[in-house]
Amino acid sequence: MSQIRIMIVEDERPARDLLRTYLGAHSELEIIGEYDNGFDGLKAINELKPDAIFLDVQMPKLTGFEMLEVLEHQPEVIFTTAYDQFAIRAFERNAVDYLLKPFSKDRFRGAISKLMSRMESKSEEGGEESSIEKIRQHLAQSDEKLHRVVIKKSGKIHVISTSDINYLEAQDDYVMIYTNEGRFLKQQTMKYFEEHLDSQQFVRVHRSYIANVTCIERIEPYEKSNFILILKDGNKVPVSRSGMQVLKENLDF
Amino acid sequence: MSHPVTGSRRSVLIYSFVWLVISATQGVLYHYVLQYPISVVVTDSLISNFLFGFLGLLAWYPTRYIPFQKHSPFYSIMAHVVAGLLVLGVWVLLTVGILNASFSSQENYLEFLNGTIAWRAMLGALVYLVLVLVYYLVTNSQKLQERAKQEERLKSLVREAELNMLKSQINPHFLFNSLNSIASLTMSNPDEARDMIIRLSDFLRYSLKHRENEFVSLKEELGRMKDYLAIEKVRFGEKLLYSIEINEECEKFPVPTMIFQPLFENAIRHSVYESVDPVTIRFTCTPDREFMKTVISNDYDPLVPSMKGTGVGLQNVRQRIQLGYKDKGSVKWEGKDGVFTVNILFPRIFI
Repeated sequence: MSQIRIMIVEDERPARDLLRTYLGAHSELEIIGEYDNGFDGLKAINELKPDAIFLDVQMPKLTGFEMLEVLEHQPEVIFTTAYDQFAIRAFERNAVDYLLKPFSKDRFRGAISKLMSRMESKSEEGGEESSIEKIRQHLAQSDEKLHRVVIKKSGKIHVISTSDINYLEAQDDYVMIYTNEGRFLKQQTMKYFEEHLDSQQFVRVHRSYIANVTCIERIEPYEKSNFILILKDGNKVPVSRSGMQVLKENLDF
Repeated sequence: MSHPVTGSRRSVLIYSFVWLVISATQGVLYHYVLQYPISVVVTDSLISNFLFGFLGLLAWYPTRYIPFQKHSPFYSIMAHVVAGLLVLGVWVLLTVGILNASFSSQENYLEFLNGTIAWRAMLGALVYLVLVLVYYLVTNSQKLQERAKQEERLKSLVREAELNMLKSQINPHFLFNSLNSIASLTMSNPDEARDMIIRLSDFLRYSLKHRENEFVSLKEELGRMKDYLAIEKVRFGEKLLYSIEINEECEKFPVPTMIFQPLFENAIRHSVYESVDPVTIRFTCTPDREFMKTVISNDYDPLVPSMKGTGVGLQNVRQRIQLGYKDKGSVKWEGKDGVFTVNILFPRIFI
């Protein structure tokens, strides 16, 4: 069996040193790159296609989780994290393993043997579905509020602050996110955004629309009993009857 | 609960003054309308009123010890009636007795006096009723004040508990990542690992100790913050730069413990954690006559959307300053041109 190609994505130097030292005892593993932020890590993973990555969760520019959201190549993932109760449950079920910092050599060896058996069964059965998709789904259930959204658009990664979003529109399995800098398609459900965006700022005004209330210029009647929002950027967003109810409660009028 | 009249000198004076006014009114009436001689008028007024004034003080006790709130209305009313009759009886007997003995020669006056006993008793009953009502009012307002005081005490207790909670929040990410760095250093640089363990211990001990001591010198607070920054610097290396400048006058100034910790933590979280370029954290302290002004600033990239919601740490600091200095201190912050600044004004004279 050929060597397993490993990548380290971790922003703290001592933590990288530790991983490298521990990895030194395993000749079957080859380190093909070390990165100190999610952005560089993401690019390198898509280019070099490692077999497995050690991934820190908290990192500048792009967190470990945000990176997973937009990854094309899907390696096996061993998370390294300090403290993250919710994420740990996601790892328990779906990741190869997760290492809680600080971790011992023995604990590390355990993770490596899990990785090895996963790699073996993968090459035997051939093309087993990656665990990343399951981790994504589990993380989407987190009740933590969303502060930014990571989107891949024509090969580029965009990190959008939620406060820059004017409105969102449902498009089949995707959601179109409208900002002043243009629109971005994200594979996600409206329900997810409805639950994870700040409900003070974002209101589901229609089955297919969520509007940022700070971007509303005025509300006009439309057809019989419906209304339409005129946003500050000139765009129009339809409002359903139940949407109007929620909007009234939110804006207190 | 002390007697509302005899409890303080001021109320004794006021009470006596009221009776003096009543006596004077009665005297003027008797002298100019009924034409009795001054000596008779003065004696009658003073004796009847001041006797009543003195006996009226006793009306407090049934009010105090047999209040309506605790007993059936019938029982309380009966108690007041009995007490009132006793007081009135004693008063009438004493007044009439003394006045009869003093002016045995003035037949004209004595006839008037003995003819008005019933009237006097009725008037006395009325005044007695007024007194009882006043006592009830006073008791109630005293109870209200005491309740308000108790509520205030409770609030300050809750405040204290809140403060303790706010203060004890050490970020678990910081703790475990630091321990991980130490684990790494034990292999590559044992001396630095030991240093870091000592710094971490000092910092943790400080964050536990401060529950007892509310205030420390700025020098000590910043000393522990330097430990904190040094630990973070091991994790982030050249990415984290910091400078802390204070003069001797500032060093001695007392500040609430751990007041700067959330600010340094914020500075690191929003700059170092989110940046790939070096960032500098600066601390300065300027004393002036009324305030000690401290400024903490850090570089940040305004174009990078923040991962974490902002403001919780800052709000906590603002709350602590407002609670601790009763709205005399202030905490202000702004992000401008890639530098985030937090200004705190500590009032210098604060009791």
